Amino acid sequence: MSIASVSTEVGPPPASPPSPAHKPKGGGFGRYLLVRFLLIIPTIFILVTVVFFLMRTTGDPITAAQGGRLTPDQLAERIHQAGYDRPLFIQYIEYLGNILRGDFGTTLSDNRPVTTILVTYGSATAELAVYALIVAFVVGIPLGMLAAYRRDRGTDASLRVFAILCYATPVFFAGLLLKLVFSVWLKVLPVAGRASTGSELQMQILPNKTGFYLIDAIQTGDSAVIADVLQHAVLPAVALGLLTAGVFLRLVRTNVIGTLSTEYVDAARSRGVGEFRLVRKHAYRPALIPIITVIGMQIALLLAGAVLTETTFEWKGLGFQLSQYLQSRDFVAVQGIVALLAVVVAVTNFLVDIIAALIDPRVRY
Amino acid sequence: MNTTAPKTEALSFKTPRTGGFFSRLPVVHQLRQSMGWQRGMLITGLVITGVFVLTALLAPLIAPYGFAQRKADSLAFGTQQPPSGEHLWGTTVGGYDVFSRVVWGSQTALFVIVIAVVFSIFLGVLLGLVSGYFGGWLDRVLVVLCDAIYAFPSLLLAIVMSIVISGGRSSMWGGILAAAISITVVFIPQYFRVIRAETVRIKAEAYVESARVVGASSSRIMFRHVLRNATRTLPLIFTLNSSEAILTLAGLGFLGFGIEPTAAAEWGFDLNKAVSDVSTGIWWTALFPGVAIVLVVLGITLVGESLNDLADPRLRGRRAVSAASGDVAETSVVPGGTLTAGPGGLDGLETPDPIGDEPGEVRS
Amino acid sequence: MTSAFTTKRRVLAAVGGAAAIALLATGCSNTSDGNDNKNAAGGTITVGTTDKVTSLDPAGAYDNGSFVVMNQIYPFLMNTPYGSPDVAPDIAESAEFTTPTEYTVKLKEGLTFANGNELTSSDVKFTFDRQLKINDPNGPASLLYNIDTIAAPDDTTVVFTLKQGNDQTFPQVLSSPAGPIVDEDTFSADAVTKDADIVKGKGFAGQYSITSYEINNLIGYKANPDYKGILGLAKNDIVNAKYYTESSNLKLDIQENNIDVAFRSLSATDIDDLKKNDKVTVVNGPGGETRYIVFNFNTMPYGATTAEADETKSLAVRQAMADLIDREEIADQVFKGTYTPLYSYVADGLTGATESLKPLYGDKKGGPDAAAAKARLEAAGVTTPVKVSIQYSNDHYGPSSGDEYALIKDQLEADGLFAVDLQTTEWVQYNKDRTTDVYPVYQLGWFPDYSDADNYLTPFFLKENFLVNHYDNPEVNDLILKQAVTPDRAERTTLIENVQDKVAADLSTLPYLQGDQIAVTGTNITGTQDTLDASFKFRYGALVKG
Repeated sequence: MSIASVSTEVGPPPASPPSPAHKPKGGGFGRYLLVRFLLIIPTIFILVTVVFFLMRTTGDPITAAQGGRLTPDQLAERIHQAGYDRPLFIQYIEYLGNILRGDFGTTLSDNRPVTTILVTYGSATAELAVYALIVAFVVGIPLGMLAAYRRDRGTDASLRVFAILCYATPVFFAGLLLKLVFSVWLKVLPVAGRASTGSELQMQILPNKTGFYLIDAIQTGDSAVIADVLQHAVLPAVALGLLTAGVFLRLVRTNVIGTLSTEYVDAARSRGVGEFRLVRKHAYRPALIPIITVIGMQIALLLAGAVLTETTFEWKGLGFQLSQYLQSRDFVAVQGIVALLAVVVAVTNFLVDIIAALIDPRVRY
Repeated sequence: MNTTAPKTEALSFKTPRTGGFFSRLPVVHQLRQSMGWQRGMLITGLVITGVFVLTALLAPLIAPYGFAQRKADSLAFGTQQPPSGEHLWGTTVGGYDVFSRVVWGSQTALFVIVIAVVFSIFLGVLLGLVSGYFGGWLDRVLVVLCDAIYAFPSLLLAIVMSIVISGGRSSMWGGILAAAISITVVFIPQYFRVIRAETVRIKAEAYVESARVVGASSSRIMFRHVLRNATRTLPLIFTLNSSEAILTLAGLGFLGFGIEPTAAAEWGFDLNKAVSDVSTGIWWTALFPGVAIVLVVLGITLVGESLNDLADPRLRGRRAVSAASGDVAETSVVPGGTLTAGPGGLDGLETPDPIGDEPGEVRS
Repeated sequence: MTSAFTTKRRVLAAVGGAAAIALLATGCSNTSDGNDNKNAAGGTITVGTTDKVTSLDPAGAYDNGSFVVMNQIYPFLMNTPYGSPDVAPDIAESAEFTTPTEYTVKLKEGLTFANGNELTSSDVKFTFDRQLKINDPNGPASLLYNIDTIAAPDDTTVVFTLKQGNDQTFPQVLSSPAGPIVDEDTFSADAVTKDADIVKGKGFAGQYSITSYEINNLIGYKANPDYKGILGLAKNDIVNAKYYTESSNLKLDIQENNIDVAFRSLSATDIDDLKKNDKVTVVNGPGGETRYIVFNFNTMPYGATTAEADETKSLAVRQAMADLIDREEIADQVFKGTYTPLYSYVADGLTGATESLKPLYGDKKGGPDAAAAKARLEAAGVTTPVKVSIQYSNDHYGPSSGDEYALIKDQLEADGLFAVDLQTTEWVQYNKDRTTDVYPVYQLGWFPDYSDADNYLTPFFLKENFLVNHYDNPEVNDLILKQAVTPDRAERTTLIENVQDKVAADLSTLPYLQGDQIAVTGTNITGTQDTLDASFKFRYGALVKG
């Protein structure tokens, strides 16, 4: 979260002193941090529990894999052998016990350690998310400022419609169109995947593979590989990034407009600072703060979008893998991935809260 | 989630007592209030949404063929036929009429929206009231629960729910309910937090106390006041809720968890089937359902955004600001989060709260 | 191998294909392929597929995607040579019944694994012992039900003692997913071995060894010069297999010549389009996959447990459906020729396959005949329209099932003889329901474990079968059991034909389509035809580039 540093450079001080009701109710910042941190645990616990029981109502991995081939007796025998016919509660306790011991298990459908899956596919999703966020910032923030500056005029209206379109276009539809234009007609970008075969083979033999293809590509020291990896990232990053860019654009616009009408800016305005300069210098920084706080939520949105983006572009990441494991009813894998996603979202929000609290003491409990 | 505390402004909302009953109706009021581009956007949104609703209601009259019809007068339509007089938008890989399926698809979408919105409002408001009113451990549990759900990617939740809810049967109502209920689950937290914050605030108000003293049912008071004050934010969440419902339905259909073609028409499913057409130059099977999704979400979101702007004096448009009455901005919501977010939220800079946030409002 | 059908959104149509850069079509052999402009050595072939691998360990996978990989890297005792449906010794010198219950295999001399370990009878014994011991829920151990004990009297001799003598399918079983021979030093004796350990251990003695492996993304193969089996050395040096999840992406890559071969699975629309593209070649071969409708003899109209149970009427209903179904139309309209009409239970191309249903139903020439159906129903006293609900799976047998069954519904309803209520259910629930008599009439598909007619009969038409549709014809039951232990080939073939004729009259199921194997290749790839045979095993070793 590179923008975190920006956020600390808060623009104007709060216009009014915090009202008495805002006073921290005993305990200082440390206590607040602790409470926030401890709340992560129930969040994850709830999600994992819900997913555990939901998944068990949907069938078992053995029927999913062998149902079209084995007799009911054979199926029942295998299900018994795997222990899926035991009381749910016992399975649940067992599962919790394993998790507490740090054992996330081995997937049922393809016999791989869940931790390996989380690392392998997690890095892919993280890489995609970083690219998408970059696109979102690069597109969303300047355009949002432009819209605020030209508010209530044609530019503003069309930018806002553009922002809504970004959100309204399903990622898979956008992906389809992007592929058609850039891969099939113009032939300038690859259809799908994270790298071409040659590059992947080169990266696979690296001693310190990170799973972040860009870093791995740089490690190979081969500019062709780096270019190849970047080319593959363009379309997925744009498809997913625009989704978020629309949100950022609207956020920046709203908040810049809001700041422009504050006394602080009024003061600057009265000093004769030009309107464009006002937007750029005075209204923009404070307007970034709410964006940072919203990133937490954007992570959830981004991950949902990632399922579709990853599927459309063969970007083999967590979201895509999760939908595959759901289909094969691989409880263990699904639970592991859900737990990781929950941790990511919760921790992001935790960090964002800390930043927010540092900026504005009023939010503390 | 956490920081984005609903900015419950202290000033209670007063509907301007000008104009007749008609002009005080939610959307009509705002329409009169709007001007310039603002008005253009609102009207565009209203028109698109109106066309969508009408299409859905009149689908049987508009669509030349049934959604599962593959032949007329015992003559098959043929598969992947380009647009023609018979088939305005051509036919699909399954031999269905694209135009008819897009029209019928609006009906499915509308069903999902209505069910999702009704469920989420009902449950979200109820839980919000209960949670805010009674407080205590129930409140805390609900808050954490809502945070947990809200943190989770909605589409993934929808996939799980669709398997659980319909037992895997891809019937029309199975599919519709799966999408609607999963959207409900995701959106309850949104309604919940607005209503809860409002409830917590009003509970402390003097008149509730006095009403309680004179023996009026406090729950009744809660309901009336909370709902009246929440009306500013609810339409907004409502429109978001609707667009998210459509997008989730489409996403489910696209990933293959949707409704089968003989049970109902569904845009996402049709898009999924059209993926392999696109690269072979058959554009009509993907374009129309895709554009339908985009347009409807665009229309509904335009309405939602415009309403949001008009409820917020800072955003209402420069000329309109002076004309504005005492309405005060509330939580603005964008997909995935509140718009005027968080503690640094500029509302705080702009309008110092005379009363201040209730401690409970800051959700963490 | 269920996963032949599992990839949800994409067509079953088996396909393959390769593509080379258009200007290379002239045929120079030392060029790199597609995107692969870096380290592609001469003759590197890139194969794309939408298959899914679940495990490299033969004990832990019973699906088509994994079996494709195993066929490249592991040897078999018995295997199907190019172009034949029947098995012959692979790394064995000879293999035969030495007594009715003893099947003796003599290994070739001097076999080694890619890691240098010797491949001896001890490895073979280890392979089958561990299959039976591990008996993994996802594994194929159930195919080895007939093995009693295994002995390795000397380094090159293995003796299988069978529970039931003269099992004619046993040589085929040795070529099935339960048959790949593994290295006893690399694999665990009592647990499924992790892919990473297998790759590291290099216990490969098939045509290729794996040089780099990233599951369901990329597998790098290098030809194994020490392979001594019946297939001969691989005709290329390096193969990279790229795994796709969306067939549309596979299609675009083969179309743009970014990969050399696309094998399984492209949609019918894609194949139709690629046929018109002169940068690629579409190669067809016989496929073992069949699609059929199952009748539940208890709950179908007039079935044994319905209120108006009547065996004659119930048979008439099944027969009328067989009269009405238009296979040509389904194959053309829905599958665009990637499937062909099927008139019997055993897939066409296998020894013993007949066309038993053709002379019995419809216009007796393969087409539908509504008048015949009507007459049949009237003769049996069935009131029309017959109400019947048909279930199909929308996610297990490719993306076209919906269109396929919409068409079947139209065909059955065309003359008002049937009123069809069409329903679909997600696969896991589907399996629970179908085996508990919930569905009166429903769709299934089959991909064989090994290419022998028996595999199309035994699982289906014995009294105890996986369909659980309450079909019970003692005569058929006995004939099936008998053919399995009849050593005389001609006699056995006659028995197999008999079974098909008898079931065709009863209509326990109604087979209607057989899937081709289709590969799409770049124009500079040859040899595809050799491996698209009735063994239903796609061997990369047959492909030649340039």
